[in-house]
Amino acid sequence: MNDMRQFERDVKMTNTKITARSVNVHYGDTHAIKDVDVDIADKTVTAFIGPSGCGKSTFLRCLNRMNDTIDICRVTGLINLDGKDINHKSVDPVQLRAQVGMVFQKPNPFPKSIYDNIAYGPRIHGLARSKADLDVIVEKSLRRGAIWEEVKDRLDQPGTGLSGGQQQRLCIARAVATEPEVLLMDEPCSALDPIATAQVEELIDELRQEYSVVIVTHSMQQAARVSQKTAFFHLGHLVEFNDTDQIFTNPQDSRTESYITGKIG
Amino acid sequence: MTDFTTGAGVPRNTTSTELVAASLKRRRRKQSRLQWIGLGAISVAFLMLFILVSSLISTGWQAFTQTHVTLEVYVDPEEIPVDRLPRGGFDDALAASLGKMVPGVDMSDRKTARAVESILSNGAQFSLRDMVVADPDLIGQTITMKVPVSDPYDQLNKGLIERETPEENRRVKNNEIAWFDALVAQGAISKPFNLALFKNADSRFPEQAGLKGALVGSFWALLTCFLIAFPLGIGSAIYLEEFAPKNKLSDFIEVNINNLAAVPSVVFGLLALAVFIGWFGLPRSAPFVGGLTLALMTMPTIIIATRAALKAVPPSIREAALGLGASRQQVVFQHVLPLAMPGVLTGTIIGLAQALGETAPLLLIGMNAFITSAASSPFDSATALPTQIFIWADSPERGFVSRTSAAILVLLGFLVIMNAIAIYLRQKFERKW
Repeated sequence: MNDMRQFERDVKMTNTKITARSVNVHYGDTHAIKDVDVDIADKTVTAFIGPSGCGKSTFLRCLNRMNDTIDICRVTGLINLDGKDINHKSVDPVQLRAQVGMVFQKPNPFPKSIYDNIAYGPRIHGLARSKADLDVIVEKSLRRGAIWEEVKDRLDQPGTGLSGGQQQRLCIARAVATEPEVLLMDEPCSALDPIATAQVEELIDELRQEYSVVIVTHSMQQAARVSQKTAFFHLGHLVEFNDTDQIFTNPQDSRTESYITGKIG
Repeated sequence: MTDFTTGAGVPRNTTSTELVAASLKRRRRKQSRLQWIGLGAISVAFLMLFILVSSLISTGWQAFTQTHVTLEVYVDPEEIPVDRLPRGGFDDALAASLGKMVPGVDMSDRKTARAVESILSNGAQFSLRDMVVADPDLIGQTITMKVPVSDPYDQLNKGLIERETPEENRRVKNNEIAWFDALVAQGAISKPFNLALFKNADSRFPEQAGLKGALVGSFWALLTCFLIAFPLGIGSAIYLEEFAPKNKLSDFIEVNINNLAAVPSVVFGLLALAVFIGWFGLPRSAPFVGGLTLALMTMPTIIIATRAALKAVPPSIREAALGLGASRQQVVFQHVLPLAMPGVLTGTIIGLAQALGETAPLLLIGMNAFITSAASSPFDSATALPTQIFIWADSPERGFVSRTSAAILVLLGFLVIMNAIAIYLRQKFERKW
């Protein structure tokens, strides 16, 4: 298993999806992200770890410009997606977010039917030409979200009626329905029990076949389980960014070592 | 050693338990005192409400019935010739028929005849006229019709004029009571539901006066108010809450809107008088102008309610939609607004209920005029329910006392219905996240 990952990683390393250079984020007077450089590879799971308030979620939200919706938030620096600057004024954040999907910490299905939850993205982006097309997209997305078997008989029931774990998988299915190239996950398992967490983790591993996945997590075990690359954030700095095995077995920075051994954070 | 330890330990424990127990007693006393004060406050409030409603009902219920007398009217071709319609001696026809039923009166004596005739409502002749004009074949026939009696006899029949009162202090004299009793003995007097209260517009005669003009006027005014205040209020609330940049100017606007909601309504009336009637030259007493004025007052309420409802939509829903690539406009109209709708509708209906009961601004724009026909468009002169109550409360005839209470009951009825709709909508569309 480990060998296979190693092999895949070596192949895909050259294919960089997102390049961030000297990214700084200010919330009013607070300097939340300080000069972060990072390269996120395609078809790889990259984990962001670090203590609370270290800026990992803030940085994640820079990648699909969700920080634009916060008035006091100011982002500087360069973030390229496939070599194009996402903060350039010619880039529409709406289009960017169709390319870079996001799953949030708390499951947040729309108070609509399961079908409409999935169909919403494809509908607003005009991805389906007919009802039949849409049906295909909904089924495919729910299958990718590993929830099809559980909900196929009740697609017209509200998504809010599902259990927490099902809701989160529904949200993941909803995010993949718009065919994004990158999937950002902000602590997707923090509200889930261990069984639901295991299901979501399995799902993340499958999603890696097609997407570049970036996951923020508080659980170092989870980072070790699902990711190939890990970035350790501390107080707004990117302290260390390396292969996951390297970070957990042979950290280069003393702060990383203290964090993964439980001395800080 | 063991004794010593327990000896030292137990008293300390007991003391702290006792302290807690003592303080618990105090806390419980405080709580029960608070509960009693609360109960007392609620009881007083209920008592007040009970007194208000029961006094309204006790004076108002009589107005929901009206004393009628059944007459056999001979439509005399001599008095009412076909070629002179709609003119004719309709009142004489009624008087003649009544004269036959009242024993011992000499109808040839003008004074007596007029006294007998005054048993009938002044409006009775017009009902007869309308019947004959509608069907001229009735001329020469004897028709049976029920006509309302005039206010003093209505009061007498309802026991509001007491027979024990000395004659000189009584509006109905002894001989008149005898006439009326004779009619009662013949079974000609009845007291059916007072349809005129809802079918007629205002009148100088209480027995003819109704609320139709006021109901129609209030309807047009509220419709105008809704059509203007609802879209404008929701539109400004959405812009302020979702799109406006947060800066000094938007803060200033927000403060002003909140203040506008607290401006006394009479000020809006003066503004409407100056602007709508004085400057724009819109007609006076028109429900359209009333609606515009009420819209000015209702809009801040709707804006505040809508903004609160929009704010209450969880941010996670906005993030979910934004994260999928929905534009801001799509987020607002496809997710936030539908979820906020119950709050918006509740706020709107409560605003409209306020507008329905508003009197002062309508007085200033002349909606307290004496108008005897219902408005057929929002630009005709009309009264509204609260101003009609105001007019009736001001009228000297005794019949208007109970009619004022009845009109208040009708107004309260509409307010209860509107609030019930608001509650129903809130419960129906309320969602849990």
